[in-house]
Amino acid sequence: MPKKILVVDDEKIVCDMARLILQNEGYEVDTFTDSQLALKAIRERRYDLVVTDLKMENINGMDILREVNRLYPDAKVIMLTAYATLDATIEAIRERIYDFFPKPVKIEDLKKSVKKALGD
Amino acid sequence: MSSQGLVQHLIYGIQHLRQLTIKQRIIIAVVLLAIMVGVIGFFVYYSFNNVLSKLHSIEIIDDVNIAFLEMRKAEKNYFLYKDLNALKELAELGRKNQEAMLSSKSYVMPILQQPGRRDYDRLLEVLRKYLSLAERANVVSPQDFEEEFRSLGQELSSVSEQLLKQERETVSRIINFNVVMLIASLGIIFIIQLILWHYFFGLLIDELNIMDRLIKKVSEGRFHEVAVQTISPHNEIEIAIKAISEMARKLEKREDEILQAGKLASLGVLISGVAHELGNPLNNISMMAQAYLGLYDMLGDEEKKNFMGDIYTQTERIRKIVENLLDFSRQKKQELQETNLREIVQVSLALVSNHLKLAEVKQHVDILENLPRVLVDVSQIEQVLVNLFINAIQAMPEGGDLFVSAGYDPQSEFLTLEVRDTGVGIKKDILSKIFDPFFTTKSTKGTGLGLSVSYGIIRQHHGDITVESEEGKGTKFLIKLPSIKEKGTANAKKDSRGG
Repeated sequence: MPKKILVVDDEKIVCDMARLILQNEGYEVDTFTDSQLALKAIRERRYDLVVTDLKMENINGMDILREVNRLYPDAKVIMLTAYATLDATIEAIRERIYDFFPKPVKIEDLKKSVKKALGD
Repeated sequence: MSSQGLVQHLIYGIQHLRQLTIKQRIIIAVVLLAIMVGVIGFFVYYSFNNVLSKLHSIEIIDDVNIAFLEMRKAEKNYFLYKDLNALKELAELGRKNQEAMLSSKSYVMPILQQPGRRDYDRLLEVLRKYLSLAERANVVSPQDFEEEFRSLGQELSSVSEQLLKQERETVSRIINFNVVMLIASLGIIFIIQLILWHYFFGLLIDELNIMDRLIKKVSEGRFHEVAVQTISPHNEIEIAIKAISEMARKLEKREDEILQAGKLASLGVLISGVAHELGNPLNNISMMAQAYLGLYDMLGDEEKKNFMGDIYTQTERIRKIVENLLDFSRQKKQELQETNLREIVQVSLALVSNHLKLAEVKQHVDILENLPRVLVDVSQIEQVLVNLFINAIQAMPEGGDLFVSAGYDPQSEFLTLEVRDTGVGIKKDILSKIFDPFFTTKSTKGTGLGLSVSYGIIRQHHGDITVESEEGKGTKFLIKLPSIKEKGTANAKKDSRGG
């Protein structure tokens, strides 16, 4: 049974690349460019890992993180951001973020982090 | 200061009235009024003093007159009863009266007028004869004596009556004259005062009106119009006017400095904006390149082509951001031309007509007839309007109404241009940020530079752009542009500044 990963980012290319790479590693990947739809999906089914952008049009990454923590305390969240402020980083750590990647993202690092998060 | 010095100062002041301060003019007016009041006061004092001494002399003459009447009574008794005692009494009264008249003479004479003096002397003369006759009463023949004695007595009483009457008339004449003089001079002073107040208030109000106009211009931010006022100040208000124009000149300089400082401050915002804006496409390219390399063997030809196409699209996105950035920072030369707003509005609406149709937005245009012309860079103003129209259209995803109206405020001599939509509106907490560079609500669709550039353009035209918005009801942008009447504006705009 492959582990389930949700990827949410305003940028379609980020979603596509994440899907391509993570599917290649054998995971089941759902991607969303609309954070509202992503939140809906999270509420409907459990994901083992959520990869989210911090700054998005409708609901930001911090809200996604809180919702995942609330619904699935043992699920992990990895955050991507183009421009992280210290405040945002501290807040994310307090909300038990698993990992944090500044853009541009190094795919090898992301892959490693995902594997570690999912215990593979 | 000596009185001669004061007079010299006054004469100099009146000759050079234009160059005097208001304080000096008021001092001159007050001194002139005081001199007039002093002269009148002195005159009144003098004439009432005169009246007083006249009254005193009348008293003396009245006493003399009464004494004569007494003497005539004694005279009558003497003739009726041939009573020698009566004659003695008469002589006694006469002598007393004579003494009184002689002792009062030095006092009374200067007070009396010419006929009065003659009468007084005449009275003394007749009295002397009368008394000498009275002493010789027994000696002279009774017939002659009686006749002469009577005629002298009659003369005494008639002359003194006449003198008394004359003096009384003189006093009442003087009093009447004084009353008329007093009323007339009070009236004249009153009129002079009215004229002076009218002059000073007129002076003040004229100058205050000038000040009022200047202050209004300052409050409207039209500094250069106030700053060019060059007057050499003569009075307090002109000094104040000069201070205002001085202040306006400094404010204008300060505003330029603040604009410059604002640009520097927005550089910080700009840099973080650039980081945001460029971060995403850079990340996209980076991720694609990494995936391309990492998965090279797994990718088909079609997929590889797509990768390269997407990378190219992302570089285009970066190029567009850089272009906008250059637009924002570039100091383009303004090309000013005389035109009317109606044309600019129509061209701008034509440019977005397709967008309007697609978004099902109805346009409502209301432009006042005979608007004054404007001196503007047409393409820049069109750019501003198109930007506002596109924003409005994007704020009405389900269609709506776009109102464009233009009017003129003759008081400020500014044209007003209003762009209003019935869209989603702007949240209160971000309303103050919408003119900031790189501030956008459109995420990936906007660069956040449109309104910022528009603001710069309108400020460069010495105009103003403001926004009002209510969430769910719509947004209204108000642009003010100076009309062409103002020569100062046209000149000031030649030194074009970057927005």
